[in-house]
Amino acid sequence: MSSVEQNATAIASVSGNVPISRRVANGIRRWWPYYVMLAPGLLFFLIWHYFPIWEAKMAFEQVRIIPPNLWVGLKHFQTLFASPVFYQVLANTLIISTLKILFVFPVPIIVALLLNEVRSGKLRKFVQSAIYLPHFLSWVVIAGIFIAILSPSDGAVNQITGLFGIKPTAFMTDGNSSRWVLVFSEIWRSAGWDSLLYLAAIIGIDQSLYEAAELDGANRWQKVWHVTIPGIVPTIATLFILNMGMFLSADLNQVINFLNDVNRGQIDILDTYVYRIGLRTGEYSLATAAGLFKAVFGMILILSAHFVSKRLTGKGVW
Amino acid sequence: MLKKLLLTTTALALSLSLAAPAFADPTVIRLVSKDLLSTNPPDVAHIERIEAALKAQGTDLDIQIVDLPSSGYADALGVMLLSGDIPDLIYFQGGDAKMADQGILEDLNPWIEKSPNLKAALWPHNVERLKNYPYLLYVYPPRAPQPVIRKDWLDKLGIAAPTTVDEYEAFFKAIHDADLDGDGTPGNTFGVTTADNTNELDSIFNQAFGITGTWMKDAAGEWVNSRITDQEKAKLTWYAKLGAEGLYDKEYVTSKFDVKEDKFYTGKAGVIFGSSAEVIDIYGGKMRQAHPDANIELALLPIPSGPGGQGLSATDVSKESRGFAIATTSQHKEEVAKLLDFMASTEGQMMDRMGFEGEEYTKSGDTYTITDKMSTWYARFFAAANFVPPVEWKSAAAQESLKNITTWFKPDNAFVWPSDYAADLDATENVYRAWVYKFISGEASMDQWDAFVAEWKAAGGDRLNEYARTKLNG
Repeated sequence: MSSVEQNATAIASVSGNVPISRRVANGIRRWWPYYVMLAPGLLFFLIWHYFPIWEAKMAFEQVRIIPPNLWVGLKHFQTLFASPVFYQVLANTLIISTLKILFVFPVPIIVALLLNEVRSGKLRKFVQSAIYLPHFLSWVVIAGIFIAILSPSDGAVNQITGLFGIKPTAFMTDGNSSRWVLVFSEIWRSAGWDSLLYLAAIIGIDQSLYEAAELDGANRWQKVWHVTIPGIVPTIATLFILNMGMFLSADLNQVINFLNDVNRGQIDILDTYVYRIGLRTGEYSLATAAGLFKAVFGMILILSAHFVSKRLTGKGVW
Repeated sequence: MLKKLLLTTTALALSLSLAAPAFADPTVIRLVSKDLLSTNPPDVAHIERIEAALKAQGTDLDIQIVDLPSSGYADALGVMLLSGDIPDLIYFQGGDAKMADQGILEDLNPWIEKSPNLKAALWPHNVERLKNYPYLLYVYPPRAPQPVIRKDWLDKLGIAAPTTVDEYEAFFKAIHDADLDGDGTPGNTFGVTTADNTNELDSIFNQAFGITGTWMKDAAGEWVNSRITDQEKAKLTWYAKLGAEGLYDKEYVTSKFDVKEDKFYTGKAGVIFGSSAEVIDIYGGKMRQAHPDANIELALLPIPSGPGGQGLSATDVSKESRGFAIATTSQHKEEVAKLLDFMASTEGQMMDRMGFEGEEYTKSGDTYTITDKMSTWYARFFAAANFVPPVEWKSAAAQESLKNITTWFKPDNAFVWPSDYAADLDATENVYRAWVYKFISGEASMDQWDAFVAEWKAAGGDRLNEYARTKLNG
């Protein structure tokens, strides 16, 4: 009898007419090592993700350091929605997040597919290491590098384009180009690292499917299209849905390091706005109101993405 | 026998009660401050000798340092206070107004009245700020950025340091046109550069163009923000001219302080601004590190006169932007006030400003000699206005910058805003900064000034002007 069958028998033996409390106690006694292993993760989520939900009530209160807080209802939401800047930063957040979903999200998938096709083990390892490295750099460093190489006076990019007679472009201050700088710097930083998940999914595809495709005369491109991509669709769907949940978090750390007086109109996002007028000035209730707005919006997006994905691919997050 | 026992017990009880103060625990004071950490040995040693000195004066304190990270200090402090953990003595670097609104911060004026050393140590702007906002105390000279240049470059130029706006323009042009960095390519050095925005230029050119304060009266006699006045327009027209001629580095907007400094040390910019005497000396030290073969000194450039006057930009006296506060919740305010008074005294200043004997300085008889370690020492509490160190270690440029601050001190008419105006202030600031760059970079011409003013007003400027009138008209 296999261990799975033994466990099934054990479950059956503790079920039946035994009271539920007894069944739970028996279950814990029998599988306590697993519960011990689960406990740190469970505690993490309870402390950092569930207990703080209760404190979201700050959005409806005037926070006082010496309690009690004063109930002010929707005042902070009214303040938030009355500011024209709020709609500008909301629009910026939506635009930047959409650009990232459209242009950043597919890149790790493509990178994983390409890496999987590299036959030379040494070359693959070298490329993998090279493209993972930027993930370990902080945004402060990355922003410094990008601002330097994009400088209109002595930046490498403008010097190269200058060789072809193209006038220097001030990428960090020129219209909407700052948004594209965010997109490309995000790709540079995360494409390699994020491709790990897809590579793991590709490795998990049943090799017999490739053998069957070869017997049917499929070339490499057809194997990628008909075997590899369908094999990682569940992973893509799950990560897409999770990304949608983070849609309004266009990455505070990234944006704050690229922000300047000129591109603020284009890349000032909800998080930087909340940080500036909420946290820096001690307006915690206003900051919480904005945070709650983001959370509710994110929840709607994640549920929508889940149901759409379920209908289209049969896969969702649950 | 019983009588003897009673007598002995009474005598023992009496002697114990008399001896009690000698064995009493010291009063615990919790202190939170930026760059003051219980894991940093010099900080701990500094606090210990302050405790010892105070004990010798009859105040037995146990000063406990509350550790907060230097990076993101203001945010971390806000969260700590919000959680109900309120130390006795708190150093703020912003975010204090919200705490003051909630009655967490003590009115310092009565305490200063009772503290003779502290009262005598105040700078003129401290006195003004305490009248308007009595919750924070930052006994340091006001920060007023002032321009410096390498002295060897000034000598190479062979022209006198500029004293007027026009002379400054000619001076920046001379730097730009000469090949001072010796790379064989004249014209690749900016006359001047700044970091992030034009605040540093404003520090010496505002008064020259007649921008006398944050709020000025327009032609109709109404208070308006100086940023939409004709004087501001004239100043920005001149900045734009500097930008167009390549004399002012238009990439200031993407330059942080380190980039700005790097341009100075590598010869890409001739003039930069130091925000304080200490910063000017740090620039000097770094310049010598970058060019170890040349013993380079920095020269401070004069405060220029212009069509509107002369002076450093008016000093905001609405409140301290940073500084120490006493918590109203503290059970030991008397002791905290004694600590602050001690730090403002000559003995306290000797410790706080000079560091440790044998480390930052040596003493032989009455002669003090500063060591190299002084460059890394900084005062943890105050730089009292009335303290004269036994030996001067600041450079001539740094000392001159301090003199300028005293000579040109002029209080501004800015005031503290109610929190309801936070969004308007943020929006108008963004509009102003973006347009300033457009003007300087040439993206917008000065003919579009009215468009800027209209956008500034629509972003909340009208509401700010209205509130200012209610404040300033009384």
